Amino acid sequence: MKREQLSKVICNIDERQIAEAYQFNPDLCSDSPERIVHMSKKRIFTFALAAALILSLGIAAYAAFFSMTRRVPEKSETFRINWEPNPSGYLDWSNAKLAITFPETAESKEIEFRPGWLPDELSSLKNELWRNRLTAEGLADKYPDMTGSQPLLIETYSMSQFNNGGALLLLYYVPDEIIEDHWDDLSVDVMRFHCTQHFDARPEHNIDEYTLEQDIILLSNADEGWVVRLAGEIGMDQLVKVAKNLEIRETGNVMTYDDFENHYNFMDGGVG
Amino acid sequence: MTHLEDSKIISLFYERSEQAIAELERKYGAAVVKTAANILSSKQDVEECANDTYLGVWNTIPPQNPNPLISYVCKIARNIATLKYHSNTAIKRNGQYDLVLDELEECIPSAVNVESDYEAKELSDAISRFLDTLKYEDRFYFIRRYWYADSISDIAAMTQRDSHLISVHLFRTREKLYHYLKEEGLLV
Repeated sequence: MKREQLSKVICNIDERQIAEAYQFNPDLCSDSPERIVHMSKKRIFTFALAAALILSLGIAAYAAFFSMTRRVPEKSETFRINWEPNPSGYLDWSNAKLAITFPETAESKEIEFRPGWLPDELSSLKNELWRNRLTAEGLADKYPDMTGSQPLLIETYSMSQFNNGGALLLLYYVPDEIIEDHWDDLSVDVMRFHCTQHFDARPEHNIDEYTLEQDIILLSNADEGWVVRLAGEIGMDQLVKVAKNLEIRETGNVMTYDDFENHYNFMDGGVG
Repeated sequence: MTHLEDSKIISLFYERSEQAIAELERKYGAAVVKTAANILSSKQDVEECANDTYLGVWNTIPPQNPNPLISYVCKIARNIATLKYHSNTAIKRNGQYDLVLDELEECIPSAVNVESDYEAKELSDAISRFLDTLKYEDRFYFIRRYWYADSISDIAAMTQRDSHLISVHLFRTREKLYHYLKEEGLLV
């Protein structure tokens, strides 16, 4: 078919549908066959099993159950990330400070979220909209002491993206002590840490030395195959409160390995 | 800024009042310009397209009494913009709209036979029926991308979704549409 005809065919679809798409109406999204999963619902069976194992086998059993594995990659280990759809549009990165891997998952449930609580400074971001990314960089001026420009970032990931040994990478930042936890009432494995990246002075450019800081929390649900990352500079206590009050639901879609062009992802940064 | 209701704007057209065009432009001018600008790359072409759109509405209302008015107006804008786009030389064309057509050709390949207006209408109707089977969000992504010719990042900003996920959804919808049209016997 000629491209002119193709334009014409698409142009003549039902006007009702064209009008419907004039503006996005998030309320209509709930009409879709989605299953809302509030995080407070416990995965009773799984958790009971985990609790029994923990009791009987102690910490070792708990560690074996944890759905995130972390390691410091070898300096020579490289990770390739495509960033533009052309043969040269990729980035090879070695010298990652931390790599986190997940269980092999053929299918991940796609999720979206909305914050149930946000600090007063970010309250303008609180609404009924379901999202899969929230960025507060537009409100950076509310936090004058920040080292970077991202007060709060929340992003979702699918474990199926990271099959075949793929990893979420923490590239530039160096993590402090990593705390692993399980939040019973949210039924998620949790990994959280403060991290920093130091930059030496560059007198030739008149730049003093400086250090960027941020906190990161990863929430992982291995049964459903999703991960939520919260990061930013609102402080770990507040970040934890945001995480514990997140409302999460499934969209009804599943994500597979083939849906992703890249099979690594970055954890640091997150502005834009 | 308050806008007149669509029915009042249409009444003004029926009265042949020139205020009709001013009110139409005030309410839907941004949508007309966006629709044209997504298809045409030249600012001058976009302005001409917007003016031709208002003239087109003026010439057709009455006798038409469209409801909803927005899709009627945008459709005229889109028709004029695509005519202009296809008559432009390759160098003047908008790369984004080229990409939109490339993506559409994945699910409506050139082998599809739409020699007559009737066949083209049949295909448009089949696509509409298919779109009705989709979830609201997927239908929204599809129409914004292939009818309004929005960029993926524009759609992401409108819906507060990640661009990559929207691309994935669109890819799957194109695949579903291909199979739907095949089952309907519309693909050779």
